[in-house]
Amino acid sequence: MFVTDIRKEFYDVVVNQRVALLVSSDIDALCACKVLQALFHCDHVQYTLVPVTGWQDLGTAFLEHKEQYKYFVLINCGANVDLLETLQPEEDSVFFICDTHRPVDVVNVYNDSQIKLLIKQDDDLGVPSYDDIFRDDEEDEEADGDDSGNESDGSAEPSGKRRRFDEDALERRIERQRARREWEARRREILFDYEQYEFHGTSAALVMFELAWVMSKDTKDMLWWSIIGLTDQWVHDKIPHMKYVTDIATLQRHVSRHNHKNEDEENSLSIDCMRINFEYDLRLVLYQHWSLYESICNSCYTSCSFKLWSINGQKKLQEFLADMGLPLKQVRQKFNSMDMTIKENLREVIEESATKFGMKDIRVQTFGVHFGFKNRFLASDVVHAAAALLENVEKDETPTDNFIKALDCLSRSNLERLHLGIDLAKKKLKAIQQTVASCICTNLILSQGPFLYCHLLEGTPDVKLFSKPLSLTLLSKYLLKAFVCSTRNKRCKILPLIMAAPLDIEKGTVIVMGIPPESETSDKKNFFGRAFEKAAESTSSRTLHDHFDTSVIELKMEDRGKFLDALITLLS
Amino acid sequence: MFCEKSVELIRELHRMGDGQLPAFNEDGIRQVLEEMKALYEQNQTDVNEAKTEGKSELIPSIKFRHSCLLRNQRCIAAYLYDRLLRIRALRWEYGSVLPTNIRFHMCAEEMEWFNQYKKSLATYMRSIGGEEGLDITQDMKPPKSLYIEVRCLKDHGEFEIDDGTVILLKKNSQHFLPRWKCEQLIRQGVLEHVIS
Repeated sequence: MFVTDIRKEFYDVVVNQRVALLVSSDIDALCACKVLQALFHCDHVQYTLVPVTGWQDLGTAFLEHKEQYKYFVLINCGANVDLLETLQPEEDSVFFICDTHRPVDVVNVYNDSQIKLLIKQDDDLGVPSYDDIFRDDEEDEEADGDDSGNESDGSAEPSGKRRRFDEDALERRIERQRARREWEARRREILFDYEQYEFHGTSAALVMFELAWVMSKDTKDMLWWSIIGLTDQWVHDKIPHMKYVTDIATLQRHVSRHNHKNEDEENSLSIDCMRINFEYDLRLVLYQHWSLYESICNSCYTSCSFKLWSINGQKKLQEFLADMGLPLKQVRQKFNSMDMTIKENLREVIEESATKFGMKDIRVQTFGVHFGFKNRFLASDVVHAAAALLENVEKDETPTDNFIKALDCLSRSNLERLHLGIDLAKKKLKAIQQTVASCICTNLILSQGPFLYCHLLEGTPDVKLFSKPLSLTLLSKYLLKAFVCSTRNKRCKILPLIMAAPLDIEKGTVIVMGIPPESETSDKKNFFGRAFEKAAESTSSRTLHDHFDTSVIELKMEDRGKFLDALITLLS
Repeated sequence: MFCEKSVELIRELHRMGDGQLPAFNEDGIRQVLEEMKALYEQNQTDVNEAKTEGKSELIPSIKFRHSCLLRNQRCIAAYLYDRLLRIRALRWEYGSVLPTNIRFHMCAEEMEWFNQYKKSLATYMRSIGGEEGLDITQDMKPPKSLYIEVRCLKDHGEFEIDDGTVILLKKNSQHFLPRWKCEQLIRQGVLEHVIS
C-alpha cells in the first residue's frame, strides 16, 4: 500500500528498530541511501547496508538477513515485481520500498500489511482499481452450491416444478459464468495496458530528502545528494524533460531556502562552507574539468548536432569555434587555465553561436556546488564520476567493491576519489564517442523492421566497458541520437533501438538492452521489458532477467538469432 | 670485540618498529651470558693474581673487563625491559587473548609476566567504577558518538551484540553499530571505521 504520511508510517516505525537497507546499483539509489544514512546517524538507528545488483542478489541478501531483521528498506528495487512471491518472507517482515521503477506491481499496491510503498501518489501512476483486478471468488462458489443444493432438494418436488427450478438454476449459472469470463477478459486487458510500458517516477533521493525536510533535519549535504539523484535520472535519460524541469523547480525552492543568509561585507560565509547555486549552464559534459574542445567533442548533444564523426562535422566545429572568436590554443587548454577574458561571458557567447548552428538547447537548468577555493562541481559532473566508479572495469573488483567506492565519492571529504571518478568518466566518454563514430561509419546499425539493432563485436576496443548497464545506456542513447541525425530514411528515425554487447566471453553471454525511440517530447516509456519476456518464452531461449530494469537482459550468444526473430514477429 | 653481541640484540629490537615483538632471541642472550661468564672468570683469576702477586699492571684490564660486564648487563636489562613494555602494550591493543603468532615470539617467563599483568589489570578494573568494574581498555580516545558506521573488510560470519541480536558480517556490507562492540573488530582489522 502507498504510505500517506511518510514520517509517521515509515520513519517513526523504524526509528526504534534495526533495519536492513538493500540498495540497488545506480546513482539515484546511492544518493537516496546517503540521505537515509545521514538521517539514521542523527537518530542512532542501527542498520545494515547491503548493495544488490539484481533480483538474485536481492534474494540472497534477503535470505541471509531475514533471521535477524524484521524491517527491510529497499531502495530503487522491488516495486515492479510481486515481492512477496519472489522473496517468500515470514508474516512479520515489513518491506518499505522506495523505487522509481514503474509500473508498480498491483499485488504490491494492494497488500496492506507487509508492503509499504514510499512513493508519491501524484506521480501519474494509473493503478487499476481494486475491483477491476481482484474478485471474491467465494461468493460465486456459494451461489453455485446453492443452486445445485436446490436441484437436489427439488427432487422431492413434483417433476413439473423441478424442471422449472432446474432451468432457472442452470440459466443463473450460465449467466454467472459468462459474466465471470467477461470480467476476466477485461482484467487481462487492464493488466496488459497497465504493465505494458515501463518508465520511471520521482527520484528516490528526492523522496528521502522530502522526508528529511518534513522532519526539519535536512542539511545542505542532503540537498546536494538529492540534486545529484535527480540529475542522474536526467543524464541516463530516465525521465522526460518536463518532469526534470518540474523537479528542478521544486529543488530550486529548497536551495533558495538554504541560501537565505544575510551575506554582506561583514557577515560573509567562510570560503570553506558549502554553497549550492542554481546554474543555467552548458550541456557540455565535464567541461570545467576538461578542456572546452574535448568536452564539445565528447558531449552527446554537440557531437550529434555537428556530426563530428564526419569530416564535414569537424569543419563545422572549427567554424563554430571561429564564429565565437575562441583561439584553438585556448580552447584545447584545460578549462581552469583558459584566459579569464574568455571565461567571463563564455556561456552567453556559446549560446549565441549555438543557436546559429541549430543547437537551441545548449543550456540546461542544473545546480552547482562550491566549497573551498578549488572545488567547484556541477551536478552532472558528480553523476558521471560516480557512474564511472560504479562500473569501473579497470581492476578486477567485485560490484560491491565498486559500490562502496562510488558511495564514498559522494562525500565531500573524499575529493581524490571524486577526481579519480572524473578521470574514469573522461575515458568512458571518449570510448563512447569512438564507438559511436565507428558504428555510424561502418553502418553497424541495421533496421530489422519494427526496431533498429546494433551488435558490438568482441574485438571492439573498450567493449568491456559496455558490459555494464549504465554505460551501455549512455552508449545506446548516444548511438540512437547520432543515427537519427545521420540517416536520411524518415521511417528509421522513429524506431526504437536494441543494443547487444558481449558480457562474458567464457560463458558466451551477451547483454541486450532496448531503448525507446528518440524524440523531442518522448515520455520515455519502454515496452521492451514485456517484449523480451514474451520472446524468450516463445523461443525458450536461455535468458536471465536479473536487472531491476526489465529492459536489460542477458542472453546466450547462440540463442541470439531466434530471439531476435521472435521479437520481430512479436513487434510487427 | 666484547659487547658486540649485546648491542646486536638491542639493534634487533630497534629495527623492528614500534609495537612489534620479534621472536625471543634465546641464542643471543645465551651467547652474551657466556661472554659475561668468560669475562668474569678471567677477571676472577686476574684479581686473585693481582692480590697474591701484587701485579698492578693487571688492574687496567680488570677494570676494562668489569666495564664490559656492566655494559653487557645494561644491554640485556634494556632488551628484556623493552620487550616487557611491548608485551604490556599488546594487552591494551589486542585484549586478553593474544594472537598465536605473537605468543610464539614470547618466552615462557614473558608469558608468565603477561598473565600476571593481565591479572593485576583485571583486579584493578574490577575495583574501580562501582559494582561491575570499568573496562578502561575501551575508548582509548574520547568517543565522538555512541554509534559508529563500520564497513566490513572480510567475511567474518555472525556477530552478536549486547541485546542478543545477531549481525551477519559479509564483505563490503556497512553497519551502524554501538561503538564499544566494534572496537575489538576494528583492531583486528575485520571492520573499518567509515568517516564521512
